[in-house]
Amino acid sequence: MEQDILEFAKFQEVVQLYGFNLLLSLAMLVVGLIIAKYCHKYFKILFRKFIVNEALVATIANIGSILIVVFVVAVSLQHAGMHTIVIRRIIIAITLALIGVIIVFRPLIPSLPFKVGQVVKAGNLLGKVEGTSLINTRLRTFDGKTFFVPNSKIINDIVQNYHFTGTRRIKLNVGIRYDQDLMKAKQVLEAIMVEDPRVNVNPRPAVWVLNLTNGCVELGGRCWVDNPKYWKTRCELLEKIKLRFDAEGIVIAHPQRDVHIYYENASQNPSGEAVSIFEQNANDPEMAT
Amino acid sequence: MKTKDALEIIDGGWVKKKKGFRVHFQKMVNAELITDYVPPQEVKPLDSDVVAWRLAWKLSESTKTDGPEIRDGDLINIYVVDEEGNPVNYYATNQPEIFNARDVEQR
Repeated sequence: MEQDILEFAKFQEVVQLYGFNLLLSLAMLVVGLIIAKYCHKYFKILFRKFIVNEALVATIANIGSILIVVFVVAVSLQHAGMHTIVIRRIIIAITLALIGVIIVFRPLIPSLPFKVGQVVKAGNLLGKVEGTSLINTRLRTFDGKTFFVPNSKIINDIVQNYHFTGTRRIKLNVGIRYDQDLMKAKQVLEAIMVEDPRVNVNPRPAVWVLNLTNGCVELGGRCWVDNPKYWKTRCELLEKIKLRFDAEGIVIAHPQRDVHIYYENASQNPSGEAVSIFEQNANDPEMAT
Repeated sequence: MKTKDALEIIDGGWVKKKKGFRVHFQKMVNAELITDYVPPQEVKPLDSDVVAWRLAWKLSESTKTDGPEIRDGDLINIYVVDEEGNPVNYYATNQPEIFNARDVEQR
């Protein structure tokens, strides 16, 4: 009993001596960690103004916030009564251990096939990579939704990285009616691609007759653009094709079918010739292709 | 003639690839007609004529007035030019086009 009372008195003495400092250093640690978290957020906003590369921005922000965390932990420990030299040794030991682990085990760590800021298609999700962690990847789709995709799922799935190659080919397939001027249509289509400043000079834009289908002569325009400009250029080229073809009097084909009706006796149709009725048939899968 | 040489002739003589586009307009400032551009000449031009023509049309719609006189703030003779200041044909018709056109010479 006396032993217990002695131990309690000793504990009371320790609390009286160091308790306030311990509480204060704990509070400093908590506040410091919160500040580090906000700093990480504001570092990203700040560096985005100067640096375009999103991955570089994330790396700098991470390094900044890690330094703040280390500083906060060191100050808190020092305030709690730990010697500076001991804190320094702990930080150096942890840093060296982490570097060693990364160097030794890096070949075994599966890497993700993209970097922060790149546009990728992982599974059915198409969006921009906003961040990666050891567990998941934060993907923001173009309609504003944020998805947290497990890295294991990404590693085991097919991933399309739209930034891996610098350029991308645009396919512009247009069907014109059989009675239209094919050479003029080819010329207009090629001119639309050539004159656009975003379309690359090499490989040169080209126009091919892809198919002679039931309802149209299918032309295929092919040109290359820089990857980030793909979507906007494609949409604008399609708009130009429609408007320029209209202006040049080239009629774009739509699914159609000629129906020929033959009358059995002449009284129904005195001329005795076939009657052609033009009708649209968009539901016919054969005609729609 | 090598194919490469022929292609160079085609590049120089057929369809010219523009490097950029600006919207040209004139505005009345202190009873004086001033020519200006969007984006300004010291800034990188737009890379899309579709965007430039759309911008030109919106500018003309926003500043259109019914009266014949040109007032302060009116934007007239709005059209798209290339990086050298040459007028660019309207992409929809492949013909020259001017929004809020006013014959300034006759005034």
